Amino acid sequence: MLTAVVIGSGGTVRVELLAGGESGEEKLVKPSECLFEPESEELKNAEKIPQSECGAGPSPILPEAKEFIWGASSFIVFALLMRFVLFPRLKKGMEARYNSIREGHENADAARSSARSEVAQYEAAVTAAKAEAAKVVDAARTTLESERQAQISAANARINAKREAAQRDAEAAKAAVRGQIESAVSDVVSSAVEAATGKRPDSAAVSRAVADVMSAGVR
Amino acid sequence: MIALEFPPVNEVLRWKDLFPSFNKIALICVAAALIGSLIFLLAGRKDHKTAPKGVRNFAESIVEFIENGIVMQTMGRDGLGWTPFLLSTFVFIYLCNVPGVIPLLQMPATARMALPLFLSLLVWVVFIGTGFKHQGLGYLKNSLFPPGVPKALYILVTPIEFISTFLVRPFSLTVRLFANMLAGHILLVTFAVLSKALFQAEGNPALIPMGVLPLFMLIFLTAFEVLVAFLQAYIFTILAAVYIGGAAHPEH
Repeated sequence: MLTAVVIGSGGTVRVELLAGGESGEEKLVKPSECLFEPESEELKNAEKIPQSECGAGPSPILPEAKEFIWGASSFIVFALLMRFVLFPRLKKGMEARYNSIREGHENADAARSSARSEVAQYEAAVTAAKAEAAKVVDAARTTLESERQAQISAANARINAKREAAQRDAEAAKAAVRGQIESAVSDVVSSAVEAATGKRPDSAAVSRAVADVMSAGVR
Repeated sequence: MIALEFPPVNEVLRWKDLFPSFNKIALICVAAALIGSLIFLLAGRKDHKTAPKGVRNFAESIVEFIENGIVMQTMGRDGLGWTPFLLSTFVFIYLCNVPGVIPLLQMPATARMALPLFLSLLVWVVFIGTGFKHQGLGYLKNSLFPPGVPKALYILVTPIEFISTFLVRPFSLTVRLFANMLAGHILLVTFAVLSKALFQAEGNPALIPMGVLPLFMLIFLTAFEVLVAFLQAYIFTILAAVYIGGAAHPEH
């Protein structure tokens, strides 16, 4: 056994490798406590020996048969289990889920396509309905306009008829009032002339004169 | 002055039998097989229709890692039939590597020669068998006499190909895994022993705080060994896949 002696002095550290016993702290063990038996029979039979006298054992690089056998059998059992039981079961589940996800994606794509075509159909129907509505609105507007024009014309005609009738009534009333005034003025003039001359004037001439004067006045 | 006693290398690597012919390495190998089986057994029993979580998520991640990260990259779709073997190899090696950083166990089973040697020989047998299965005797011809090489060069190329394909491959697989894990294990032991020696230094109290330095190194190396455990399992598995894929496809 090598012992590394680390010596620190000031700011430096020095390491020296010494043979097992040189440290002065060699541990004594029973030969049975050694990892590998001492090589000589004398040491094997001793009650206690320095630990450095234990066997060195075989080269640490050489494979040990028991480790080879246990490692090989463990791996073979594991690999066989994996090949025939564990992996197929897990893989089957993974594929089932992947298929389910793929199916879900396909269904979603189909639903999306279907929804898109329905939206297109709906938009086409909306466009057609709007065009139809525009037509109906135009027709209604035309009808309404013609009806409005007809009603306005009828109303104007009624107004004109009423205005003419009113004018006729007014003319008639005016003529009647004028006749009464002419008659009254003729009477007054005749009476005034009779009072002044003592002779009653010709009523026809008075009436004509009054009518002329009144016509001139109107003018 | 402190005395730093390095244990003999056999004391670091070899363990007394727990039972006759059953030592700690055998225990780790059996435990790796049991734990690996248990993980995939539990994963296989869960409801597959729901989103994976827990142990099933873990197991499926490993399967997808092997399929997409190793098989598809090295062998293509035709190699998917090799997934169970490569999956077993990866999981088993990883579970044998990782005890190197697990307290109380603190020994990777692959830091002993036996297990890497067996696995490498198995891969060797498998890829040669695959070569003969897919190419018949043409496998030897394609391996030893690569097409496109001038005939005069076969005097040089054929021995090189024979040595590299049939002799060096199992040897390099074995040594790569074994040596990496052994080196990591010895490094951990070294820094653990150094930390202990410095913390227990008698006579020079100034050395005691210096124990923190190898302790930090020990912590760093422990974390590094977790990565190495994964990396070595991955490298072994991907090389096995490359060898098998190359043997199955003569154009490789």
